[in-house]
Amino acid sequence: MLLSESARVTTAQEARFRIQTPNSKPRAVKVIALDSEAARLVDDISKKPWNGAAFFKSLSFEQSGDDNVKAWLNDLAGHTSDLVGEVANADCVVVIAGAGEDAASVSVIAELCNHYHKTLIALVVPQGSYEQDTVDRSLKALRPHAKMLVIAHERDYIEAMLTALRA
Amino acid sequence: MLKKEQNDLVTQTGPGTPMGDLFRSYWLPILLSEELPENDCPPVRVKVLSERMIAFRDSEGKLGLIDEFCAHRGVSLWFGRNEECGLRCPYHGWKFDTTGQCVDVPSEPAESGYANKVKLKAYPLIEKGGVLWTYMGPAETTPPEPEWEFATVPLNQSFTSKRLQDNNWLQAMEGGIDSSHVSFLHRGDLNNDPLFKGAAGNKYNLADSKPVFEVVEAPGGLYIGARRNAEEGKFYWRITPWVMPCFTMVPPRGDHPIHGHFWVPIDDETCTAWSFDYHPTRPLSDNERQAMKDGKGIHVRYVPGTYRPLANKDNDYLIDREAQKAGRTYSGVEGIGMQDASLQESMGPICDRTKENLVGTDNGIIMARHRLMRAAKALHEKGVLPPGRTVEDMKVRSAAVILPPDQPYKDAAKEALIAKVGVKQTSV
Repeated sequence: MLLSESARVTTAQEARFRIQTPNSKPRAVKVIALDSEAARLVDDISKKPWNGAAFFKSLSFEQSGDDNVKAWLNDLAGHTSDLVGEVANADCVVVIAGAGEDAASVSVIAELCNHYHKTLIALVVPQGSYEQDTVDRSLKALRPHAKMLVIAHERDYIEAMLTALRA
Repeated sequence: MLKKEQNDLVTQTGPGTPMGDLFRSYWLPILLSEELPENDCPPVRVKVLSERMIAFRDSEGKLGLIDEFCAHRGVSLWFGRNEECGLRCPYHGWKFDTTGQCVDVPSEPAESGYANKVKLKAYPLIEKGGVLWTYMGPAETTPPEPEWEFATVPLNQSFTSKRLQDNNWLQAMEGGIDSSHVSFLHRGDLNNDPLFKGAAGNKYNLADSKPVFEVVEAPGGLYIGARRNAEEGKFYWRITPWVMPCFTMVPPRGDHPIHGHFWVPIDDETCTAWSFDYHPTRPLSDNERQAMKDGKGIHVRYVPGTYRPLANKDNDYLIDREAQKAGRTYSGVEGIGMQDASLQESMGPICDRTKENLVGTDNGIIMARHRLMRAAKALHEKGVLPPGRTVEDMKVRSAAVILPPDQPYKDAAKEALIAKVGVKQTSV
């Protein structure tokens, strides 16, 4: 019997002939801590080798002259960069919130993600022995804004997720 | 994306591997009861987790699952004579009971006790819910027997089938927790398949192909909530439970039976996709049962006399490009089960995850892999028993609910996600 096309190409032997040229370009992933708890995590995680992911420990706002508010991202080296520019140039934005911490600033990031059509992923990270209502508070704050919302009980999950996303 | 060594870790389940040890911590479905229908019926070859075995039901109805090969000269006991409480090798008459103990070596004097010194490896085999289950791990850490709801409702309320799938277990299982593919791959079936059509929730699936996800850890695995827009600002949630290592459920539709899967490795390049349907509170109707036998819903039609799907890679899955073009099926392959299997097999025997490009909405898959790797390493290196072994872990259900926007599904649907005797599924 002649093998069908599908039968022939789904063997392990044929799998060896898959083209090895990279099938994607490096992505611009922006990781933003929403509070001081999250900033500590981001600081640790950023020390690992990444494929160009940018890590920010805080978001600050500044009243500009024309009554507009300017948002600045602060990286781990103490540099600041414009939130608008970072989101505009991102492929994906990941925000990290400590459970129960103030996550209100996510709305500004989400608004920009909507504007520039970027996916916003939100991770809530419970610390030590936590109260469930602290997690719930964070989820409530993040839910309206995130395309994907995850409770990351295990801290190393954040690294696993960023690795999986080729960050 | 996984590194090669991570991909090897999660896909290799043979003896002595970390993921193999993990799988050997659970009761796994391996045969349908119909495969050993009566006492002294023909034995059946079984391969699970890269181990070849023979299953048989002896003269007293005892079930046995033993090493496939006779201890004498290595003949397959599939040729064995199932007689007088044992399986006798037809080559020289050696006979083994359901525990693998050799009970007769005709060439040796019975008084010599020679037979007592020969024993084949054997695993326990139990019957529950029309399914035969085995546990291949250490006896001292045997978990509670299977208490999955589909296996505990009366048999007239359930239907279970299995099909062989020519790829590694993980890429099959990952399809079971990937809710977002339904709006594409299965969209042609939501309003046509007799086991899906008519549910109010279908319109939300079809109208909103960009669901928002929320992944919540459960003690035994995960809940993956997929949120789509419903009327008046409310959300239609479809909640998929995954229990470690390989149990998934599909959120229900209307009053149709609930369904789900086990994805059990045969070896590293093939698996058995178990598909079950059940209704918690009523018998399945004749029409429902017939539709399942006819390969509707998540079931498939078979090559006669086998559990191999009739549409398979040898016939290009009977792909119908006109049906694809006309939108009757999205991929051109008929039937939900084979739509999934055909694409998963197309990835190759073991998907090369070093080449994949996951996106944010794949977080359910990412977290499941993470939990599997973590648990496998903890068991292999430190002897920590993995999650998903308790009766509570098994008492899960999928659910479909409409909720106001401010209500987290993990709380609002908490009761709906627990299997309770006599309580109907929560569905839209």
